[in-house]
Amino acid sequence: MLVSPLSLLRRPQWLSLPAIAILFVAFGLPIAWLFLDSLAAPNYSLAYYKAFFAQPANIRVLFQTVEISAIATAISLAIGYPVAYFIARSSRRLRMALIVLVVIPYLTSLLARTYAWIVILGDQGLINNLLRDLGIISRPLALIYNRGAVYVGMVHIMLPMMILPLVSVMMGIDRSLMSAARSMGARPFAAFWRVFMPLSLPGVRSGCLLVFVLCLGFYITPASLGGLKDAMLSTFIAAQATSSFDMARTAAAAFVLLGIALLVLALFGADLGSAAGPGGTAPRRGLLARLLPAGLLRRIGESATPWRASRWKAELNRSGHASRIPGRLLALGAGLVITFLLFPGIVVVVMSFSGGTFLEFPPSSLSLQWYRSFFSDPSWTGAAWTSVRIAAVVALFATVIGSLAAYALSRSGPRLRGAVTLLLITPITIPVIVVGIAVYLGLVQFNLIGTMSGIIIAHTLGAIGYAVVIVQATLANFDTRLERAAMSMRAGPMRTFRRVTLPLIFPGILGGAVFAFIHSFDEVVISSLVSGMSLRTLPLKMWENMRHQIDPTIAAVASLMMLLPVIWMVAIYVNWQIGNRAARLPDGGDNT
Amino acid sequence: MNSTINRRKFLGTSASAMALATVPAVARKANAQGAGEVRVLVGGGDWGKANIDAYAKPFEAETGIKVTAITDQIEMAQLELMATTGNVTIDVVNINQGAALPAAAKGQLEAIDYSIYKPEELEGLVDFAKQPFGVAALIYSYVMVWNTETFPADKPRPTNWAEYWDVEKFPGVRILESGQYGSEGPWEEALLAAGVPADKLYPMDIDAVFASLDKIKPHVRRWWATGSEIQQIMHDKVADVMNSYDGRAGILINQGAPIEVNWNQAKLNWDYWAIPKGSPNVVAAQKFIEFATRASNQSVFAQLIPYGPSNLNAYKTIPEDIGRKLASHPDYITKSIPMNMAWYGEVGADGLSNADRLVQRWNEWILL
Repeated sequence: MLVSPLSLLRRPQWLSLPAIAILFVAFGLPIAWLFLDSLAAPNYSLAYYKAFFAQPANIRVLFQTVEISAIATAISLAIGYPVAYFIARSSRRLRMALIVLVVIPYLTSLLARTYAWIVILGDQGLINNLLRDLGIISRPLALIYNRGAVYVGMVHIMLPMMILPLVSVMMGIDRSLMSAARSMGARPFAAFWRVFMPLSLPGVRSGCLLVFVLCLGFYITPASLGGLKDAMLSTFIAAQATSSFDMARTAAAAFVLLGIALLVLALFGADLGSAAGPGGTAPRRGLLARLLPAGLLRRIGESATPWRASRWKAELNRSGHASRIPGRLLALGAGLVITFLLFPGIVVVVMSFSGGTFLEFPPSSLSLQWYRSFFSDPSWTGAAWTSVRIAAVVALFATVIGSLAAYALSRSGPRLRGAVTLLLITPITIPVIVVGIAVYLGLVQFNLIGTMSGIIIAHTLGAIGYAVVIVQATLANFDTRLERAAMSMRAGPMRTFRRVTLPLIFPGILGGAVFAFIHSFDEVVISSLVSGMSLRTLPLKMWENMRHQIDPTIAAVASLMMLLPVIWMVAIYVNWQIGNRAARLPDGGDNT
Repeated sequence: MNSTINRRKFLGTSASAMALATVPAVARKANAQGAGEVRVLVGGGDWGKANIDAYAKPFEAETGIKVTAITDQIEMAQLELMATTGNVTIDVVNINQGAALPAAAKGQLEAIDYSIYKPEELEGLVDFAKQPFGVAALIYSYVMVWNTETFPADKPRPTNWAEYWDVEKFPGVRILESGQYGSEGPWEEALLAAGVPADKLYPMDIDAVFASLDKIKPHVRRWWATGSEIQQIMHDKVADVMNSYDGRAGILINQGAPIEVNWNQAKLNWDYWAIPKGSPNVVAAQKFIEFATRASNQSVFAQLIPYGPSNLNAYKTIPEDIGRKLASHPDYITKSIPMNMAWYGEVGADGLSNADRLVQRWNEWILL
């Protein structure tokens, strides 16, 4: 850095510049070009947009896309919130283990995971065969190729995206506030609802927004698990991008989708991390956020105050026992959800040991042949090594750049924060195929197609988005008074950042790093474009292999892919613990 | 704008993004090309391997021209980018007819020099294989497939698409191909089911197609979109009668799956060998294509991978048990229907091709 770090910390807004710069050059310019293209430049008309809306099917699928995304988000929140709560209040060791378990399914390659669901839900799948063998059914239940299966698949993929921001926010909530509420006579549920829940809203908001906008771009899952009707706009866009090279028409459809994402972000508040100001000013919220039930219910709750006061006396005499049963229920629920998350991955792992030549569950015989075929083939191992290197660099870049940006944004005005955040997450909010084309057009200017640097830049764009969202969510609950306190004790800005801010937001940074790594490691669409036929990442090699045959090598590779980031996370965790011990600072939720 | 994706080789929709991958990285190496070289895009996986073993290596041995085989595939967009940037780095491509036709129309493909072909080879090549811009490399088909546990050979079973549509007479779970890409879909089958004669399918009556599809819609359990998907469905015995690429069914039959192919009313599609205009090694490229379409060499290829030769003389040396599994077998080709991709690519006054029109109708139809 040319500017002194001191001045950067005084005007932290500048810290988001690296993120903006990389985004602008590699993505912003080409996307602007695409946008002009969709406006039929240089003549400028709305012809492509008119043509889009002239088709009733497009409008219907647009509504359906929003509906499916909203329902998938709601289910993810309903399931994810209690799990996140459970994780956040676990001991550190258990918490780390649970986080790893939650993230693992996200590491299962999309392809293998989709197959796993077909194997589980299919007409001749695990569940149907089990029920038939038990004599409960005679004809297979229609568990797949319908909307329900789409939700199962989507929620499964999105839950980690919901749970991680929630956990990182919940861990930042001072638990003594709950105890304080209890000591004042609030029953456990009231303490949760009136103290904990409102404080966790930044996590809810960022989790929901992240999940919703990602859902908007889905198409592989609805296409492979849904019925004929269950198309989403991206299904149409992908088919269009595939079947004709009419970029303007494809771009128009993509910008409609982006428009919806923007609309939703505007309604619900784009500022994912609204830092509480020194005076504890209420975070600025979006239009609908202000109407969230918490506020309404609080008002209703006021009327019950006298009754509650009489309750309190009774409660005082038997403190502490009431929370046990919900606690067990919570643990049971979290266990079930984690089973749901892990099951397809387990199916993939088991299938990888198949002795047959097909993906089947349970395998008719067991063997290590598919692992042998992986390790004995340099094209597989070479691709794996390429992917690991790329993902590691991407994780490093994206985490540093994204955390700086998130830090800067948390110190910015809400308007600027909203706008910049929106900008930074565009690469993950618009259909991946459009991102791929835009990035391609950007990289080709610098002759970076087919180079590792090109792929790293392409992956970093999306990875920054994940890092920014997750770190911002953590920063939202960060009490800036701690920094002032440190400064008042004569700590310099750098020292304050290193000793106070950084340790407190480290869980968020770590989460961001994991997602950045995974984003790169599993990416196939953008890579296929910018690899220029000369670089083979692991997912690309998998695609190439699968064009002709589906053999369980894919399952073996998918199993190994799950393993690798887990090792990586454990390594980081060990580092983190050592670092924490040195800093002797609590990480927020460790005092339980 | 025609549809180009070749899903026989493609697995999933997102892989289609590869259709847009380009080759500038190869460009840098292109300068090193010598005169005695030809750069051939041979496709990935077993297909690429078969191309290398049957054509690339023997061609090198015979002519001394070095073949650089690139195990990838090309789509229209890539040709387009090569042509527009003037950066042609490939001498021979293997592309689907849906991609070849518009490329040829835009003048992006060299004319094939048929003067270097021996008369008996030209005679053996099926008519649609010999185009000014390319020579068919291989032929495959969309066929009806029976589950032999439901429809064994000794019992009545649907023998044509009209009978496939007859759910009263032949009850059972049905699977059909999705029409989301427009250029490939159950269109011809629907018209055949409605009684349109095979030689009157084109130009297709789109209203009639969807009227026919309306009838079968409630009985179709799944509309598959990728080759691997239909392969898995056939493997899992989910359906009683379905349609599939012949190659995907062939793989399973070789593995002993209880399915059988009905070659009647098979729908033929094919790939071309073609030369991108501006190729640095046109002469060698012409020689390579001539070599790769000889009956003897196609015979070797067909025995490596179950794709039908375009030179029917190849069947003279292909063992009968293998030949019987190929789409262009002389017994099958006469009762098959060649796809007319030119019709799919025809653009109307509104700027939409017939394939685009099919996509729009399909999108409306599925959401109803």
